[in-house]
Amino acid sequence: MPIWWAAVLVGIAAAPGSTGRAVTVSAAISLSEVLEDAAAAYRQRGGGPVRFNFAGSNALARQIANGAPVDLFISADHAQMAFVEEAGQVLEGSLRVVASNQLAVVTSGDRVAEVRDAFPRAGPAIRRLAVGDPAAVPAGVYAKSYLERQGLWNAYAARLIPTGNVRSALAAVENGSVDAAIVYVTDVQRARNVRVVFTVARDQAPIITYPAAVLLRSPNRAAAGRFLDFLQSSDGQRIFARHGFLPPPAR
Amino acid sequence: MIHLEFRLEQGGFVLEVDERLTGRITALFGPSGAGKTTVLDAIAGLRKPSAGQILIGSRVVHSDVLRVSLPPHMRHVGYVTQDVALFPHMDVRRNIEYGRRRGQKLELATVAEMLEIGDLVDRGVSMLSGGERQRVALARALMSAPELLLLDEPLAAVDVELRRRILPYLERVRDSLGVPILYVTHDRDELQRLADQVIVLDRGAVVRSGAPGEALT
Amino acid sequence: MDLWRITIFTVLTAAAATALMAVPGVLLAWVLARRRFRGRLLLETVVSLPLVMPPVATGLILLLLFSPRGPIGSALAAVGIDVVFTWRAVVLAMTVMGLPLFVRSVRAGFEQVDRRYEAVASTLGAPPFRVFLTITLPLAFPAILAGAVLGFARALGEFGATIMIAGSIPGATRTLSVAIYTFTDTGRDREAALLLGISAAIAFGALWMSNYMSARAGLRT
Repeated sequence: MPIWWAAVLVGIAAAPGSTGRAVTVSAAISLSEVLEDAAAAYRQRGGGPVRFNFAGSNALARQIANGAPVDLFISADHAQMAFVEEAGQVLEGSLRVVASNQLAVVTSGDRVAEVRDAFPRAGPAIRRLAVGDPAAVPAGVYAKSYLERQGLWNAYAARLIPTGNVRSALAAVENGSVDAAIVYVTDVQRARNVRVVFTVARDQAPIITYPAAVLLRSPNRAAAGRFLDFLQSSDGQRIFARHGFLPPPAR
Repeated sequence: MIHLEFRLEQGGFVLEVDERLTGRITALFGPSGAGKTTVLDAIAGLRKPSAGQILIGSRVVHSDVLRVSLPPHMRHVGYVTQDVALFPHMDVRRNIEYGRRRGQKLELATVAEMLEIGDLVDRGVSMLSGGERQRVALARALMSAPELLLLDEPLAAVDVELRRRILPYLERVRDSLGVPILYVTHDRDELQRLADQVIVLDRGAVVRSGAPGEALT
Repeated sequence: MDLWRITIFTVLTAAAATALMAVPGVLLAWVLARRRFRGRLLLETVVSLPLVMPPVATGLILLLLFSPRGPIGSALAAVGIDVVFTWRAVVLAMTVMGLPLFVRSVRAGFEQVDRRYEAVASTLGAPPFRVFLTITLPLAFPAILAGAVLGFARALGEFGATIMIAGSIPGATRTLSVAIYTFTDTGRDREAALLLGISAAIAFGALWMSNYMSARAGLRT
């Protein structure tokens, strides 16, 4: 059994509070801060306790498919949500999209001008570019799509440092191991010494969405649904906006 | 001449020696625990005296006053320990030649002939009898061209019959190589036969010394 | 075939790590086995730390030291040597994690070499270094070999520290264990299972060889 399966079990078992009642949410790691804030606001308004499990969406999807006891899943792209749907884990009709985002090319504070100049032409100043693993991490899949659209994929393919999730790519910039990274614009807020070189315009990149669904095996469906409703409410959406997220794309 | 004038304290045991060795073979005689092996260890440089000096011929190998204490590899002392300690990972030839310095005159053939171990040189050391091991160890010590030879009860682990056959080799070494020998034993017969001088040691102190006849009542 | 490349890469880096830990490992083992000095307990503890600490923690320490902002990393970057996210990081992680095992085995080997052989060798005129090379080392050789096999096996299976400082870069730092993790994470389950089989086979072979050598050494003494 994968290690993280055990980790999730331990995490859930070890959590304090009314363990029976708390809603367990597996969410994309880029949602770490915004969801913690949302859960605090939800609690203040009389909603129940919410616990989080943050990781790359693909890792979370696999955990759920293997039986992890989670109530709500919020993925960073449709592909990972589809994976969970195909595994028969999604509660019919509960699927919503809660937010959207934008990609950003980032680098360390002292190299912004250099990277701004080198990036569009894949210049030699960018020897290493960190992205989420383009094989399955949503941020990486989006980044690859963006690079392909710009005709830069071939140039950068050999320089990619694939990471397990988008925050690892950010960390690589923070400790100086890579020259630049493609992450979500919302990831940069808390990072030390990381600056946005430019934000990827919406017409240059695939549409980024965060689909959310209540899980079939959840014993807390009602509570999970209520939290999901809160995220979609105007109060919830305001919290997303405060953190730099975009509203769900109009359909 | 070997000049021994030292004191060695270890735990509760005190060894005190003040002797001049002038014979070809000096026997060190005494009951077990008297400190005989300790004397040899001190001369070889494996143990440090607490005070005093040791001279081999005119060379000072240890002296408090002069602040000199040569490490074992510089003392030119050949030492055949009680348990023989042939190097298990080398054959007989390499054991014997271990201490040989390049270009030295003494050769394997000479020593091998004297001790009659010529046909053993290519054997592994695990395939030797007790007596053969003793002779190989002796050859090894001799091959390093020492200025003093220390033998710690070389015949103790050997049966009576074998003892009679090895003694002549020791006599040969004594007579033909001219290296002074300090020989530890608790066998009076060996003593009588081989030694010119005897030092009797008991509980760390020399109780008698002199010619074999008078030293042993 | 991608899987064979991963396997060969892992075996080669593990072999390099084993070679790298040889000299420092033997030196450390000798010092710990034969010398008494102040700070010896400290040295012993530090050397054993990677055995007991969580591998990712050791990986984090290495990252702090060797990232381009870290003390050693910046010095190396100045002469054009990258460590983090390269094969060098893989070898580094493997060496650091395998060294304690190697040192343990070699130290035990030195400790059971009879000091009397060394004493006799020195009376025969061999200076300390020659005694070490011709007596101590050969007599401890079975333990050194067994330690090397252990260190190699540990290097092969190393994951936590490796993923921290080397990541999982296809063709550049993807070792067997890292690849299993990444493939499982990205849905390549079949390949992960195949790599699992290869890992198990190599581990089995390494242990078998180690036990066989220990048994032979035991018979010889």
